[in-house]
Amino acid sequence: MTAELPGERPTSPPASDLAGLLAKVARGDEAAFAAVYDQVGALVFGLARRVVKDPAQSEEVTQEVLLEVWRSASRFDPVQGSARSWLMTMAHRRAVDRVRSAQASAEREARATLAATDYDVVVEEVEARLEAQRVRRCLDSLTELQRESVTLAYYGGYTYREVAGLLGVAVGTVKTRMRDGLIRMRDCMGAGQ
Amino acid sequence: MRLRRPDPHTLAGAYALDALSEADRAAFERHLVACDSCRHEASSLREAAGQLAEVTASTPPPRLREQVLAEAARTRQQPPPVAETPGTQRSWLGFTRPTAPRLSVAFAGVCILIALGLGALTLTTQQRLRVYETRSHEIAAVLNAPDADIMTVQATTHGSATVVMSHAAHALVLTTKRLPALPTTECYQVWLMGPHRDRSAGVLPTPHQGITAPMIVSGLANGDRLGLTVEAAGGAKHPDSPPVLMLGLPTS
Repeated sequence: MTAELPGERPTSPPASDLAGLLAKVARGDEAAFAAVYDQVGALVFGLARRVVKDPAQSEEVTQEVLLEVWRSASRFDPVQGSARSWLMTMAHRRAVDRVRSAQASAEREARATLAATDYDVVVEEVEARLEAQRVRRCLDSLTELQRESVTLAYYGGYTYREVAGLLGVAVGTVKTRMRDGLIRMRDCMGAGQ
Repeated sequence: MRLRRPDPHTLAGAYALDALSEADRAAFERHLVACDSCRHEASSLREAAGQLAEVTASTPPPRLREQVLAEAARTRQQPPPVAETPGTQRSWLGFTRPTAPRLSVAFAGVCILIALGLGALTLTTQQRLRVYETRSHEIAAVLNAPDADIMTVQATTHGSATVVMSHAAHALVLTTKRLPALPTTECYQVWLMGPHRDRSAGVLPTPHQGITAPMIVSGLANGDRLGLTVEAAGGAKHPDSPPVLMLGLPTS
């Protein structure tokens, strides 16, 4: 699918070239920014919904993240990672900051169950997406403890110490499971490409 | 087998998942600065973690698109990082932004600080070098000092600080942008961390729309670093937590 660009920009790079779009955004190209939005808007919003839960706050987070992309596109450094990773790191941090600063711990306890259980439901909604299927396959290849540690942190916004408390395992164990789990995810997704 | 001594390498996964407390994250990022292989691993694990967002994708309401595009159209963009002058020794902490921009032009400093102070993201009045009447003379003196240096540094958490410093005035003006909000029981405290002792420079003002009003910090000495820590509301006598932001000040 190609992104809709308001205003004709014959020189625009293919929509998949996020890094190329960011370079144009850095120069103030609003059409390129719209293309970035079309590419990642659903990823950012979906992640915010998952972590923050509240729809209105999720919209705020999405707007903040995209505006941060607009403002700081010139700071994106391809040497340090992919454009998508740069962008999703910003999105995740902002979503996590939102829940950590705003929510009382009691409320967050309640989310623990949600974070652990509705992973499958959410996956079903987007199963059509090839990429999502691949990610799910890779998630399924993790051990249960690795998967729980990774998803509670990423989707639940918990710190590793909190995850250790929720799962009733040692802090050191959770740390290593997170790292091992992500290494396995990385290798799994790299192999599937 | 796990050793008692915390091994920073094992934190790479938790870091990539944003599952570290602020203090842990600051410590890990300090470790990253000195460890190339860790930086590489952290970056590759970030890529993997970012993929997890694929399964939660969800189309936002169409009006959000219009809103975001309209807001961008009236939002000023940041300039690209500017390479530092060789030979100057400055320590910029913050793994994701190793090359913070630095322009030694007082003019830019005044513009940026006015913009930050007012929360104005569109700088339409760059040419008008007026320091507003509500600003104290001290602040104006630093901003307009011929030797004013402007520096921006990213916090280890989120957000950044912009500093305009005058050697001649032994003072600097500090504003911050988008630091994580704190509960009312805590505050951000500013420190001058010298070779011999740390001095409190006071508590950061309450931000408006994420931005704190310019704050004057005077009595700078050679070798001082500017630090920002999270302390109990009202401030502490000594910094009790690792700085969320640290800036080595240039020596005269």
